[in-house]
Amino acid sequence: MIGEMGSAQTDKGGEIQLERIKINARQMFVLIVLFEHGSAIVIPLGTSAKQDVWIAILLGLALGLLVFSVYGRLFRYYPDQPLIVYMQRIVGAPLGKLLGIVYVTYFLYIAARVLRDFGELLLTFAYPETPLFVLNAIMALVVMYGAYKGLEVLARTGELFLTLLYVLALSGFVLVLVSGIVDLSQLQPVLEEGWNRVWKTVFTETLYVPFGEMIVFTMLFPYTNNPAKVNRAAIAGMVFTGVNLAVIAAINMAVLGPDAASRSAFPLLDTIRRVQVAHFFERLDVFFMIALIIGGFFKISIFFYAGLVGAAHLFGISRHQRIVYPLGLLVLLLSVAIASNYAEHIYEGLKIVTFYLHIPLQIIIPVLLLVIAAIRRRFGSSAK
Amino acid sequence: MRRAITVIVSLAICAGLLSGCWSQKELTDLAFIVAIGLDKTEDGKYLVTFQVVNPGNVAGATQRGGGAAGVPVSIYTSTGDTLVEASRKASEKLSRLPYYAHTNLIVVGEEVAREGLSGVLDAMERGNQLRPTAHLVIARTYLAKDVLTVLTPIDKISANQIIKTIEFSSKNWGETVHVDIWGAIHCLATAGRNLVITGVTVEGDLKRGKRQENVQSSVPDARIKLEGLALFKNDRLVDWVDGPSSRGVLWLLDCIRQTNLTVSWKGKKEAINYQVVRAKTDVKAKVKDGRPVISVHIQAEGDVIETRVPIDLSDASMLFQLEKEIKKNLKQEVEEAIETAQRDKTDVFGFGEAVHRTDPRLWKKIESKWHDRYFPELDVTVTADMYIRRTGLRNKPYTPRG
Repeated sequence: MIGEMGSAQTDKGGEIQLERIKINARQMFVLIVLFEHGSAIVIPLGTSAKQDVWIAILLGLALGLLVFSVYGRLFRYYPDQPLIVYMQRIVGAPLGKLLGIVYVTYFLYIAARVLRDFGELLLTFAYPETPLFVLNAIMALVVMYGAYKGLEVLARTGELFLTLLYVLALSGFVLVLVSGIVDLSQLQPVLEEGWNRVWKTVFTETLYVPFGEMIVFTMLFPYTNNPAKVNRAAIAGMVFTGVNLAVIAAINMAVLGPDAASRSAFPLLDTIRRVQVAHFFERLDVFFMIALIIGGFFKISIFFYAGLVGAAHLFGISRHQRIVYPLGLLVLLLSVAIASNYAEHIYEGLKIVTFYLHIPLQIIIPVLLLVIAAIRRRFGSSAK
Repeated sequence: MRRAITVIVSLAICAGLLSGCWSQKELTDLAFIVAIGLDKTEDGKYLVTFQVVNPGNVAGATQRGGGAAGVPVSIYTSTGDTLVEASRKASEKLSRLPYYAHTNLIVVGEEVAREGLSGVLDAMERGNQLRPTAHLVIARTYLAKDVLTVLTPIDKISANQIIKTIEFSSKNWGETVHVDIWGAIHCLATAGRNLVITGVTVEGDLKRGKRQENVQSSVPDARIKLEGLALFKNDRLVDWVDGPSSRGVLWLLDCIRQTNLTVSWKGKKEAINYQVVRAKTDVKAKVKDGRPVISVHIQAEGDVIETRVPIDLSDASMLFQLEKEIKKNLKQEVEEAIETAQRDKTDVFGFGEAVHRTDPRLWKKIESKWHDRYFPELDVTVTADMYIRRTGLRNKPYTPRG
């Protein structure tokens, strides 16, 4: 297995081409769905919009698609290169390399953040006496192993797990409906405080997580065997996820009410804990656990993998496997060190990461890159 | 060789990590707490009562043919400034680790309820063991501790007895209501709705209720009984309602599944009994001249199941007349409930929520004065449709001829 993807290759432009393996458009769709669901279904996503959370998510999706069209266009310009490589072509090597380092750091940092989320969640509700480091280390080991095996293995694992996740999601959905705890009147009054609150949530939360995080896939698109279909698969994946997330958020709101849903650390968990059908189907916390672990694994893995191949490209390392363990350890230690408590972690996520990382790296820089690339295409032969 | 070592090492790592022994607790080291009681001591601390299952005396006793091995539950009490402190302190008396995942009943003493529930429920919502679906009841007249000490005959664990009684009584009779921790917190945190909780009390001789002999007699010396509804204002218990008006409250909360209404017929009181099989209550708010108005519409279907007067029930016009009588009775019940709540200045029906949904802007303005100013003077119109669908296996009652 290692033989088929290990060998380093140089393409016409003199860039290093890692992993010759290819995944198909369906697998890309699966990875996108798992990635986008990832932590978004378990964390309180957009609950500051109270009962209008579902509107905020759908608007986040709409704007997210707009942002994604930028990535899609860039990919069409450079269909066989990842973001970090074509960036150097667009803005030149020195600046491109610098930006590349920023992006690699960003991907690894977000991988560490999601790992921390995952550990905190498990710790809070299932393993109160286990040290954070131990839980994170176990997850990090699996992630490192997955990244070592490469994208193709990850994609095939994803196909299996998406099926499992979907069976769980559907049965959970039916049980929630059957148990009669959904009270749709809790979604009223719609737009109680007008559009302001909704837009504010969109521009501070739902646009970036999870939709803007699609930026990470610009690192993975070159690994598909059918570039023409990739954009469509990505858009389908985003829309599918967006609708799912909006439905889940609306159900959480309708079950818990705006007050409890916005006070809850994990609204979906609270919803599931309220399910009682026929004195038999109750205490289904394990549904939540499985969703959390599968989603967490794929989200961390994809961020980590993107950071990994990015670093390999930047530093001219021929096999990304060689840096899996050092970078994995880095992510693990970072995940424990980035915050001293959960509140600090969440505060950083909502207030600092959004403004200093998500907005520039997900929106401003890609848009600038696209503008420069388009100008170069039109006016010069400088872009070969 | 290298491969063998790798396999062995990874197996060893898996064995260590996957067995999940980090915080393992053996079953025999756990004390399953099925119910928690909350009272206040004289010096203002919480007196917390834990009802712990004696596993050997619950399942085993029936298998061994009902031998009187011992009591099915034991009671432990402990005091503390907070619930968690009291719970940890109970370890001085308890030989096992208290385990709350099976706690299904919280009994709050009347005194604690009158002083306020806020601060009591937080630990229950925050902790990861106790389920938010645990039932909540108020101990009336007696202490929560007293209620939990009484042994019960049919369902041996009295917590289960209370829960099942609430469940069946609210389904069949409709003067009690099932409220869980989650629902209680929801009401406390919502401006336009106050809390209603079922009361539970002890009937008979409390002192003899805690002995095993209590369940060895066909007429127990002490029984646990549900009694009335506690109306809360904000987080404080302000009043009890009993009998028909407590059912009126539950009609308005759309909590009635099945119940019976008796009506008088041609001068004879309580002559005909009507059984509700299905019921639905709709509460709507409107704004008239800048003031909120509430209209309640109750719709029910059911059967006539008992008559004590000669009446020809095969005559449809008779049934229509009867429907009118039933409607009158129901409206009286419901209006009494509204009057009581308005007198206590506490909107337990969620009328405020309905106003909130209809006109969020108006609600913003009146929210803070809702319970004290607007609700007591609120115009509520009650309308009802009560359908008689069937009259059982007979269409006329028998007439005794001597």
